[in-house]
Amino acid sequence: MNLKSLPNFLLICLVLLVTSCSQPPVFIEHQTLSRIGDRPEWAAKDWNDEDWDERKAVLESGEVYWTRTPIDILKVSKPLHPYAIRPYIYGEYEVFWDGVMIGKNGNPGQEEALGPEGEMLTTFIIPSHLTEVGKHMLAIRSSIYYFPDHVGMSVDIANYDDLLTERLIETSYMHIFAGAFLIASIYFLFLFLSNKKEYPMLIFSISCFLFFVLNLAEFITTYVPIHYAYHHIRLETKAALMFGISFLIPLYFSMQFPYPKRKFSLLVYAGVLFFIFFIKHNFLDFTTRNMAISMWVFSFGIVVYAVYKRKKGASLVVMSLLLSLLINFVTSFNIGLFVGFSLILLGMFYLLSHRIKEQRLAYETSLVQSTRLRLELLKKNIQPHFLMNTLTSLIDWIEEAPKKGVLFIEALAKEFDLFNQIENQTLIPIVQEIELCRTHLEIMKYRKEINYSWEEEGIDIAQKIPPGILHTLLENGITHSLPLDDNSIKFKLVFESNNDYICYTFLTFAANENEKQEINNRKEGTGLKYIKARLTESYQEQWGLTSVPTNHGWKNTIKIYS
Amino acid sequence: MNILIVEDESRIAKRIERMTRSIFGNTLQSLTHISTLHRALQFIENNTLDLVLLDLNLNGHNGFDLLTTAVSGSFHTIIISAYKDQAITAFEYGVLDFVPKPFNRERLEQALNKAITKEKIETNEVKFLAVKKRHRIQLIPIEDLLYVKGAGPYTELFLTEEKKELHDKSLEKLEQLLSYSFERIHKSYLVKMSEIKEIIVESGSKYIAELKNGERIPIGRTKYKDIKAKWL
Repeated sequence: MNLKSLPNFLLICLVLLVTSCSQPPVFIEHQTLSRIGDRPEWAAKDWNDEDWDERKAVLESGEVYWTRTPIDILKVSKPLHPYAIRPYIYGEYEVFWDGVMIGKNGNPGQEEALGPEGEMLTTFIIPSHLTEVGKHMLAIRSSIYYFPDHVGMSVDIANYDDLLTERLIETSYMHIFAGAFLIASIYFLFLFLSNKKEYPMLIFSISCFLFFVLNLAEFITTYVPIHYAYHHIRLETKAALMFGISFLIPLYFSMQFPYPKRKFSLLVYAGVLFFIFFIKHNFLDFTTRNMAISMWVFSFGIVVYAVYKRKKGASLVVMSLLLSLLINFVTSFNIGLFVGFSLILLGMFYLLSHRIKEQRLAYETSLVQSTRLRLELLKKNIQPHFLMNTLTSLIDWIEEAPKKGVLFIEALAKEFDLFNQIENQTLIPIVQEIELCRTHLEIMKYRKEINYSWEEEGIDIAQKIPPGILHTLLENGITHSLPLDDNSIKFKLVFESNNDYICYTFLTFAANENEKQEINNRKEGTGLKYIKARLTESYQEQWGLTSVPTNHGWKNTIKIYS
Repeated sequence: MNILIVEDESRIAKRIERMTRSIFGNTLQSLTHISTLHRALQFIENNTLDLVLLDLNLNGHNGFDLLTTAVSGSFHTIIISAYKDQAITAFEYGVLDFVPKPFNRERLEQALNKAITKEKIETNEVKFLAVKKRHRIQLIPIEDLLYVKGAGPYTELFLTEEKKELHDKSLEKLEQLLSYSFERIHKSYLVKMSEIKEIIVESGSKYIAELKNGERIPIGRTKYKDIKAKWL
């Protein structure tokens, strides 16, 4: 399965998961009435509660209050599989069903004296004989000493086993997600550590990790008992994690798909997130939701711009964002959030893998390029123009003036020897390169019978230079120049350096052919391509090369920026 | 013999010059050495030459511009080059010989002899004839050429579709280059043998070759026997 079909696959899995969980409810919950005070009779099924308040109780501190909720059971429970009830209430409480106490969570009314006891989520079995089809009364006696303003309740009634396992199943699925993202986080952290320039990897790693922790924080209530007094810590953690993720994901996209005024827009976005984080901070689910929405909108903007600019991979990320939006419409907020995030992270993952592939290709290309340059350097001495002309001249010297012929052979041997020394290097000492040029001139003297001379000025012998580039300029100078009236051609190498760059100026003093086509030929020749490729190999973009005719002949400058 | 050497390597030019002088001896009327493309083209335009010895890679130039100009001239061209892979193309353009570097006296002599003895090239490597037009040179594929008629120092090329071109080379020189598929059937005619439909003997021992397109070309009385022996 390729990466592109992965989101679709996940979507299908998710839909199956969600549909398998939803069963028709077995009960109807009616209007809850409440009253501050504490009387044991209030638990009774048929207590007259006409004067009770429909609104939520307004509490001062840890005082006891009662709620009474009529409930219709629609379907009788299966034999030996009793129903259970799970209240979603802040506080410590006792639960009465049709006047019978069926459970207790903490010590309502005595919280201050006895300290926190009980947990957030509790499930109580309702005795089978009390769950016949028809009207029932749920009465709850509770107190919220730690958060008196968090009054409110809802309940869930279902088969006891289902009620316990349903959330466990959901949690286990979500933790599979979480585990995958933990691994991804660690993996990309290691990748980043091995190449510290790759900030997108670090951001992706952190995003994955935050997502992992967020997932834990969300579903930890399933298996770790938390007292309601500490529940806000979990919510604060969630909001803070959301804040981090909501900032990092657009930041990541903005790095992968750069756009104008990036820093400014990110600052504004961070401001928006802060605003959302602190406004209505007590309603942390609200905060979380708004941050998720901001994150989605901002990311979507960046990625759509990238699609408009025809950036590679952008359209797939747009798809994943749209899919995450869709999932938020069809599922509950929590599930939608996590699956949506997973999809977005997968999109980011895809981008990273894409970039890694590009880098690998670039690296492979650079390897091939290096090999090619090395071959090109070696070829200088065996390409027919050099070799055959040299050999022809050599034969002639040997036939006509054997002693000079021997000197010629020695010069040739020296050049071959120098080439052997430098052929597998990317930078060589400047003196070696100069030596190569001088030897080459020696050979060309015998071939062309022109008085070549070499001068240098200000050479810093500590400098290094890619092999064969001055040699190539020299070859160009020899090939394209005609001797002056005294049958001489002079070459001069000048070295200058300052804080910003070092500069080699290579001058040819000769008569040019002075034809336009000639000048163009020379500017675009294969020799210059070799020089440019060598400079790029060693200095990336940090160099400059000019090649222009002058009154006295030709001038090449190579600048290498520091 | 008037000979031009075009070579930018001084030592090699001297070698060619020395050997050429010694090979031709007294028959040499003039021998010039030029080392740049530009001056070579000027010289070819303004002087009458019999033979040009040409290096294809002058001062980093691709020598094929010079090659097409050279082969369109009235003289024969011999290439002396370091690039053996250019030999096939050179022959296709109609050079007399291709001498790869490095060369010795024997190899150069062999090439020069082709010019001296008017030895015929027995291969079908020539693919084009280069014809001078105003401001340019046109390459005419040999497939399009039916026969050649001598016209003093020039020749007329008779092509398919009744087209006609003038060429600077003499009939003798073209005969040397084209002898693989063409036959000198008359003092003034060089005909592609595959184009001859039949040979007609007319009264008074007049022999006529009728071409596939219906044209009739006389066959020289002395040539008839040779042609009969070789082709029939």
